[in-house]
Amino acid sequence: MNVAFTTLDWIWVGLFLGLMIGSGVLFYRLGKRSESDFFLAGRGLPWWLPASSVYATHTATDTPMWITGVIYQHGMAGIWYTFFSAWAAISSFVSTRIFRRSLAYTQAEWNVVRFTGLGSELLRGWMAGWQFFMNMFVLGWVGIAMGKVCVFLFGWPVWVGLIAFSLVCAIYVLAAGYWGVVMADFQQGIIAFLVILIVSFWGISIAGGPTGIIEKLAALGQLERMNPFAFTGWWSGSFPAAWFITMLFIALLGGFGMGTTVDWYVEAQRIQSAKTVRDASYSIWWGTLLGLVRNSVWAVSILAFFVLFPGLTETAEYEMGWFRLGFDYLPAGMVGFFFAAILAIHLSTISSHLNLGALYATRDLYQHYVNPGASEARLVLVGRISTVILLIGSFFYGLMMEDLTSWLIFALWIMAAGIWLPNILQVVWWRFNAWGYLSAWIANLGFSWLVVWILPALGVIPELLDYQQFWLLMVLGALVYLPVTFTTKPENMDHLVKYYIQSRPLGWWGPVRREAERQGLLQPGSTTARD
Amino acid sequence: MAYIRRTWTAHEAEEWTREDWLAIIISPICYVLLTVGLALTLLLQTSGYVMLGVGIVLTVVLHWIIDPKLKAVSTEYERKQQTYLRQLEAQVRWQDTER
Repeated sequence: MNVAFTTLDWIWVGLFLGLMIGSGVLFYRLGKRSESDFFLAGRGLPWWLPASSVYATHTATDTPMWITGVIYQHGMAGIWYTFFSAWAAISSFVSTRIFRRSLAYTQAEWNVVRFTGLGSELLRGWMAGWQFFMNMFVLGWVGIAMGKVCVFLFGWPVWVGLIAFSLVCAIYVLAAGYWGVVMADFQQGIIAFLVILIVSFWGISIAGGPTGIIEKLAALGQLERMNPFAFTGWWSGSFPAAWFITMLFIALLGGFGMGTTVDWYVEAQRIQSAKTVRDASYSIWWGTLLGLVRNSVWAVSILAFFVLFPGLTETAEYEMGWFRLGFDYLPAGMVGFFFAAILAIHLSTISSHLNLGALYATRDLYQHYVNPGASEARLVLVGRISTVILLIGSFFYGLMMEDLTSWLIFALWIMAAGIWLPNILQVVWWRFNAWGYLSAWIANLGFSWLVVWILPALGVIPELLDYQQFWLLMVLGALVYLPVTFTTKPENMDHLVKYYIQSRPLGWWGPVRREAERQGLLQPGSTTARD
Repeated sequence: MAYIRRTWTAHEAEEWTREDWLAIIISPICYVLLTVGLALTLLLQTSGYVMLGVGIVLTVVLHWIIDPKLKAVSTEYERKQQTYLRQLEAQVRWQDTER
């Protein structure tokens, strides 16, 4: 379909883009003051600013497509596919708190705060390089989603939507760094949430309101779609209970660790930009809740889309469902406002990943390994150059991606499954060392390719459901990293004591605690002694 | 002594206590109830109203329990933050003598 834009529609779009670029110009002076300002807004933000950034960043152009896809396929039960972000429920009060106290700029830097020696440096270098390219990858897949939206709306070649709006975004990211990102995210979050509500409720209304949706579902014999717990059995079907339990297990317990989901790396930057430990906790908790609430509104509107257009079988057709509710049914003059909101959704994600990827390149690669004595002005300059490199690289990545979903699932798996448990162990277990963690990463890279792609293609194993892949990868990884951990030395005890005193981790830290007490850094037996 | 402690010294707040574990348990329940409750409420389902209502009450309870402790932890930590930041900068510049 091609959407006809009126002058008023283009005015909406122009006003919005002007507002975003204005943010960059307005905060230019703050952003260029130092590395800390360019990447963490000087560590001085109240909780609601990083919270709005958490929400805005994780509302990307492909998010409504993805959520529409799972809700259209599975009904309300599909909402659990979006529940992975609930790792923040526990993380807000555990790993967020511990990470904020470490003060590490990035998860890569945290490795040298927690571990020691060559192993920690290898981890830092590996993670920084991997995150640089991972952010480029995310920019590519989000960018190509925008390209597809523009094909859908205007019939433009796919590269136009990919490149044009990312370039606009780069203006304010280059100018003001994280200050520009977070201030624009705040505005974009408000605009996006408002428009998600308007379009979703409009769509629900078009379908006859809640009562109309229920009546139409009943007429279609699809009332089961209203049940969020409509399992297809324990082990089989499109929505087995075993998958649901695995998802809850991964999502919730993952909150004890760091990096258990791809979102952690983005959140880590928001955590460190909060002005206190308390602000960091609330920013993650409330930002994530806003995303979950958004998913609920979306889910109901997709049920509305389902009763309006039942029986669609092509993924490419039904995953545009929420966009169609807006573009097909909103009145003239509002379509431009809707498109401006889609741009808000798009730019908030692009800006965050541009700045985050540049942070890894600047802090962990350039400053730590290339020029440790670099001045603040130099570091800000390198941050800007890294941003440009990421931007250009993302265009190439984007144009290479044809199938969004399979790439997304594989990217999540390669980061989530085999290193899920090591990501928790590094936080809660003193004995887990850099070599164990490094071996987990290396093993996971190999096992992920084997289990997800190569062995099924060769017919060695059957194609496994995603929850089965998770458990298999977790077991295979443990067969590597546990022996490596126990056959290599523990980290230096003085370093662990220093880390313990600063970060106060939860879990099995008894020997370190006792050493801290022996050194007189803690009062003996004071753990949980309150009364 | 009340079951939920709401007055903390900085030293006491540094330790992991019952209040932290209550937050760890209640917080996921809040997320589940608010997510599902809102969706079902929008479909005018009674179960949705109940879940949403309970979710909101639990969210208030969660913050009532954990906020005093988080405030105490933050206050204590902010006093030491500048020292820790100097150490971090030394580490990134390879000036940390321990390494």
